[in-house]
Amino acid sequence: MNQWIVNFAYFLDSYAPYCKTKKFIYNILENNKYPYKKYFDYLMMLMVILSIYILIRHVKHEVSSSWVFFNNYIISLFFLCEYILRLWAYSNNSKIIIEQYESDLFLHRKFNLSAAIKTITKQKMAFIVSPAAIIDLLAIMPFFHEFRVFRVFILFRVLKIFRYAKGVQRLISILSSKRFELLILGMITMIVIVVSSVLIYVMEATNPKSPINTLFEAVYWSVVTIFTVGYGDIVPITPEGRVVAMLVIVSGIAVISFATSIVVSAFTEKLDEIKEDRLIDDVRGMERFYLICGYSNLTYAVVERFKKTNKQIIIVETDPVKIKQAQNEGMVVLNFDSASLHAYHSMQIHLDKQVIAVILLQESDVANIYTALTIRGLSKHVPLCSVLHSPKNRKKLSLAGIDQVVNPHELVGIISRRVGTQPVVVDVIHALQSGHGGTIVDEIVLDNDMSERFYELLLHPLFYRRLSMLGIYQTRLENFVFNPDSSFKIISGDVAIVVANHSLISEFRNLLHKKRVL
Amino acid sequence: MSLYSAAIFGFNEYAHQIIKHAGLQYKNIAIFVISEEEKIAALQAGYSAELIDLSDDWDEIQERFSMQRLVVFCALADDAENVFLTISLRATFEHLHIIALAQNAESVLKMKSAGANKVLPSVEIAANIIFDMLEKPIVTRVLHSVIYEDNLLNVIEVKLGEDSFLCGKYLNDIYFRRDYDVILLGIVDQELGTSFNFASKGLNHHIDAGDILVVMGYQEKLDELIRVVRGENNG
Repeated sequence: MNQWIVNFAYFLDSYAPYCKTKKFIYNILENNKYPYKKYFDYLMMLMVILSIYILIRHVKHEVSSSWVFFNNYIISLFFLCEYILRLWAYSNNSKIIIEQYESDLFLHRKFNLSAAIKTITKQKMAFIVSPAAIIDLLAIMPFFHEFRVFRVFILFRVLKIFRYAKGVQRLISILSSKRFELLILGMITMIVIVVSSVLIYVMEATNPKSPINTLFEAVYWSVVTIFTVGYGDIVPITPEGRVVAMLVIVSGIAVISFATSIVVSAFTEKLDEIKEDRLIDDVRGMERFYLICGYSNLTYAVVERFKKTNKQIIIVETDPVKIKQAQNEGMVVLNFDSASLHAYHSMQIHLDKQVIAVILLQESDVANIYTALTIRGLSKHVPLCSVLHSPKNRKKLSLAGIDQVVNPHELVGIISRRVGTQPVVVDVIHALQSGHGGTIVDEIVLDNDMSERFYELLLHPLFYRRLSMLGIYQTRLENFVFNPDSSFKIISGDVAIVVANHSLISEFRNLLHKKRVL
Repeated sequence: MSLYSAAIFGFNEYAHQIIKHAGLQYKNIAIFVISEEEKIAALQAGYSAELIDLSDDWDEIQERFSMQRLVVFCALADDAENVFLTISLRATFEHLHIIALAQNAESVLKMKSAGANKVLPSVEIAANIIFDMLEKPIVTRVLHSVIYEDNLLNVIEVKLGEDSFLCGKYLNDIYFRRDYDVILLGIVDQELGTSFNFASKGLNHHIDAGDILVVMGYQEKLDELIRVVRGENNG
């Protein structure tokens, strides 16, 4: 029997459809990073809202039997299935059995099935007694609307809705960080309620004119007074009772203040974390963006340059001062170590799908190389561009998998070659590249059937004197053909390099892709 | 070989790269440093450097160089010192050609106000290149090759002399592409100060002596154009 159980556990553990299904169920129920989980959550929330609506409507109105059936059986059955699946996905029984078997085998002991069952039970019980699971279980119960006293169970369906709302989960996690303080507050409140209830009962119950005649009335009065509600339906009439009332009112203010301070401090402490979580959610939703590692003057200049395009930029930085600077400039900054593998999992960034290119702008070559190796460990294909601080490290950056390297010192040296003798040329090229003055140099990708239209458009009065075609870059041959005439044959993938106003280039592009020329 | 000499103030990685890339453009290069550390660094890199202070005593430089044929690179490590050096040189030499390096965008304006003819904003230059390499890789490759590498294709600036046949004509009357196989990128109008106009703006500019044309083309065509526009081959 034991051997049969072990064999079955091994079979399940290696049976792909079973493992795949279990992983899918776990992802859809528990994994917040799973992209399709939100759809399941929306469905469940809809079910719960529908159920609550039916139950509330049923209090004073007639609800059709089909809706009652839907609520009592269909929704409850759905919740029951969800509960069972959560229980199933919570732990891996076959793995526990295998671990126990292999452990016993290693120690030359007889396989102890009861120990494995004990572990399984312990793990499943941990799920069953968790607050969320208790709410789930109580929310399943059908027919509870049939009995007045059981109507309180509607509370669990209301609570169940919060399981699927991420904001509420966050609220609970924030408050749970102050568990100890909230426990102390609860104890103080309990003590004040008990003491004041007893005191007011003792002082008032003997007076026949007093509305406080039972201990329950005394407790009710205490709670209403402590939490500063004071309905006024029950009031002490004896001088002793009124003294107690004054003390309870003062204690009530203290309790409320204490509670407020706990909640406020919990939120203040977790504010950065909440913002970070929110930011990660936003980044996860972005389609394509540039990822810049490190914030510096150069990062600022690069981001400014990208502002003219619609490209999104995400900066990764750990220095709090630099993070503050970048945030003040309106940049999106994630507080993570870009050289850490774990950071990319936490940031939930998919390098191949989301990142156009990673730009390494940290202030040392060592840091950039280290980060490059981390990124290459995660993606072989994402383009990597890095600033180079010392020319002697160029080869090392290349070995680390960096595709493009920019050395500001070398650039200045190269430019200085012409700036002394031909400063206007340098100005023109700089202006064209930075787009100052509205004129830019741009690329237009061409294809086979564009040849005729392309040359026709160049001669069109709209473009003739206002759009300069410098030449065509033959992508296949990696060759630039300067100022070609209309006999030059364009091949798909060739790129025309043009100089003109930005909007004129856009118009040229549009017309090039239209069949009819102006 | 150029008739110009160069004086580089400061020795650091920028200065080193300027010497490496622009060294051959000048008849001779002198390095002036303001600290012993810089002097040692220059010596270790194989250059001799002279120690100076940033006072107003520029007699030695005046004696050694013809100020009309000297290009000064202000490449001190600190932007504030570079501004001070620029303003000191400008105060003494009105027509000296000064090129200053700026580490940040704020300093660019200060250096221009201090009298630099040309400011090289290192951070902005690097940012532009990073942007272009990622967004316009082909343009970057082609322009870099044309402008900064030894290539048959070139971009040059030509100052029009008094006797140039272009003087008095309108830009739209000249067909640079068709007649000279070069592309006019833009023109600096002397009448409008030194503002640069891109040819692609479509303005029908009146060409005067002293205007500077910026043209792109094969070196042999450019040489021919230079000959023509300078009035050496009017026919």
